[in-house]
Amino acid sequence: MDASRDKTGLPPASGGAGRAPARRRLGLLDSSRGLGVLLLLPALVLVILFFLMPVVLTGVFAFTNMSTATGISGGAHQVSPGSLRVLTERYGMGELAERLGQPTYLVDERGLAALEETGIAPGIVASLRRGHLDESFASRREFERAIRALPDRPDTRTVKRISDAFSRSLANARFTDAGALVAAAEAIDPDLTPEEKDALASATYTGWSWTTDNFRRLTSSRDTTRVFFNTLFFVAMTLVFFNIGYAMFLAIATHYMPERPAGIFRIVWFLPRISPVVIYVLLWKWVAWDTGFLNAVLSDFGVRPRNWMLDSATQAWFFVIMINGFVGASMGMLIFASAIKAIPETHFHAASVDGAYRWQQVRHIILPQLKWPILFVTCYQTLSLLTSIEQTLLATDGGPGGATEVWSLWIYHTALNNYAGNLQYGYGAAMALVLVVIGIVLSLIYLRLFNYNALITRPRIEL
Amino acid sequence: MRILLDKFSKAFGAVSVIEDMTLEIGDGEMLALLGPSGCGKSTTLFAICGIHKVSGGRILFGDRDVTSLPPQERNVGVVFQSYALYPHMTVRENIAFPLRIAGKSSVEVARQVDEMAQLVHIEPLLDRRPAELSGGQQQRVALARALVRRPHVLLLDEPLANLDAKLRLEMRSEIRRIQLETGITAVLVTHDQVEAMSMCDRIAIMDAGRIVQIATPTEMYNDPHTAFVAGFLGNPPIAFLRGVVSGDAIVVPQSDVRLPKPNGARNLAEGTRVSVGIRPENFGPAGDVPVRGRISFVETQGRENLYDLMLADGSVLRSIQPVRSDIAVGDEVEWSVASDRIFMFDDKGERI
Repeated sequence: MDASRDKTGLPPASGGAGRAPARRRLGLLDSSRGLGVLLLLPALVLVILFFLMPVVLTGVFAFTNMSTATGISGGAHQVSPGSLRVLTERYGMGELAERLGQPTYLVDERGLAALEETGIAPGIVASLRRGHLDESFASRREFERAIRALPDRPDTRTVKRISDAFSRSLANARFTDAGALVAAAEAIDPDLTPEEKDALASATYTGWSWTTDNFRRLTSSRDTTRVFFNTLFFVAMTLVFFNIGYAMFLAIATHYMPERPAGIFRIVWFLPRISPVVIYVLLWKWVAWDTGFLNAVLSDFGVRPRNWMLDSATQAWFFVIMINGFVGASMGMLIFASAIKAIPETHFHAASVDGAYRWQQVRHIILPQLKWPILFVTCYQTLSLLTSIEQTLLATDGGPGGATEVWSLWIYHTALNNYAGNLQYGYGAAMALVLVVIGIVLSLIYLRLFNYNALITRPRIEL
Repeated sequence: MRILLDKFSKAFGAVSVIEDMTLEIGDGEMLALLGPSGCGKSTTLFAICGIHKVSGGRILFGDRDVTSLPPQERNVGVVFQSYALYPHMTVRENIAFPLRIAGKSSVEVARQVDEMAQLVHIEPLLDRRPAELSGGQQQRVALARALVRRPHVLLLDEPLANLDAKLRLEMRSEIRRIQLETGITAVLVTHDQVEAMSMCDRIAIMDAGRIVQIATPTEMYNDPHTAFVAGFLGNPPIAFLRGVVSGDAIVVPQSDVRLPKPNGARNLAEGTRVSVGIRPENFGPAGDVPVRGRISFVETQGRENLYDLMLADGSVLRSIQPVRSDIAVGDEVEWSVASDRIFMFDDKGERI
């Protein structure tokens, strides 16, 4: 009933006319391509904001000298002892620096007006204007002698107040732009050459500027070599002994175990991965520190209590590698275990009747068929270890004495946290950029090595 | 080498699969373990090669008790249903594997691998990987690997199940040829009675963990001890009629079929229920006991036709005859049973 009324109630002509503009309004969204873009938009925005932008910004910051001192917005011009030193040393304009550094007193209308406002005797102001307007003095003593010589003979306190009002020294003065700075400098020294003006402007600039110095510094620093080899050592050791070696041991051991204990075992070794990093590392610290578990046990045997984690560089490495290793081993274990599970059971039966004992089965049947999983875990874990920071930061914080400082931690210490208080964003970004480049290059190599398409096709085990 | 299973039992947890099974396989003999899925034939095979530990009884190779030996020390060759070729090794490496594990010198290994390759005719394939071989070729490689160590016994677990019909025929005779050429004692596990009958010296037919009958294929075909054996052997399969003893005849109720009592049935009381097995080749135009019925199905097999004949009581008899075109579905015919070739079983399935 309803349906038929709908049909008859709507004239075909008006129906068609009503539909046509609606379709036109939808426009782009009518095609799957337009709608696809729209639906993808939130994801795209997130990807750009949180994945692409950090990398791009790292690249940008790497070519600046940003730090706490420069700030990340624009700066001002300030004639500080530091900037005068720069003027002398970098530009060889010692004479100019000396002139600008000296206090200067200039009697001008601005000063007189300010003086009037402080409620000083009008007679003094008038006689100053009369006798010394537009006159400048190179030192305070000279200017104060002239003030004392005024007819009013002001007392010493008044003399100080007057001289302060006319102090026109550039030292510690701040200018929002180079023009104001140059104008002020010209007030002191009207004969500045254009070179001197440029040098002055750049030497006194307090903000950040574009530079490639970060990379020059990175290649020449001795820290770079040390941290680089630290990182190499850390990645290699953790990878070989834990992420591959120990993971493989666990996978094979659980393969030959009955189902139930093997499952429990795997879960136990998965705990470091799923427990909060801070708690996990704190437990390690509690084991190692001087009133901790290790010492509680060892003190019974007459061993001197010490912080085992930070006692020596070797011990620090030992702990750092273990802490990172046990977290990483679980992933390898899962991947290897499932790869071993994918080997048909009859292969092990066949190997057994062919005379192969367990270790020969491991050597001849399991390991050769785990070539790809091993390569995959190696590649994946290299990248993740290169950028791994939280466990090491919490455990040793790069100590003792920078012995366990790895690249990612070094970035953090440089850019985000250091004792001097001057956080060098630019330099840190340059370090991070190096890491990003290494990561991208390694990823490309790995993808090629793997022939990524071959990885996602089904294994070619035919029955 | 003689193989003896002496009161062998196998249980998985609380589930007993095989109990007190005794089986002797003569030296150089090829024996088939034939039975339906789940009858325990593969379990027996895995117990012989040591993959399964036995729950009771002994296994002897020759006079040596191998019951507690691990598979590595039993020196058995096994061909698995899936062949279980190692996918990462070439054919050559696959065949050489048992020798390499045994620590043979590379010269010795190479010599024996070549010898085996010659025996199973795969010389040109030695450098391929298993994935690059056809099913039949994989089968040959698996055989070569199983035989290369000169094992005491060759065990074949459904070796032909994964092959297509033509290859199956070819490999059937190949395996038999190789077994005869090497003179090895062999056990073939299969659910296919044709395979068992065509390849083996003797058949041990198994049902629910027991050996029901051991005999040569001919003996077993002509003298089945139980209805199960009779039903398992023969293609097309035997047909059964439900009958009742009545006087000196067996009568199929609600039909006019009267079969003479065979010798073994002489003592049966009046009214005893029996079942009568009639093979398709023993029912046709020639015979002595007439049976009337309607053709319900005709299956052309090329050289012969298979006819299903529905009797008045609804039971079906099969007849296999040279191709003839004068009979179609729905025709009423009267054919005869060769009464001297029928098998009679009691209601427990035991032969009378």
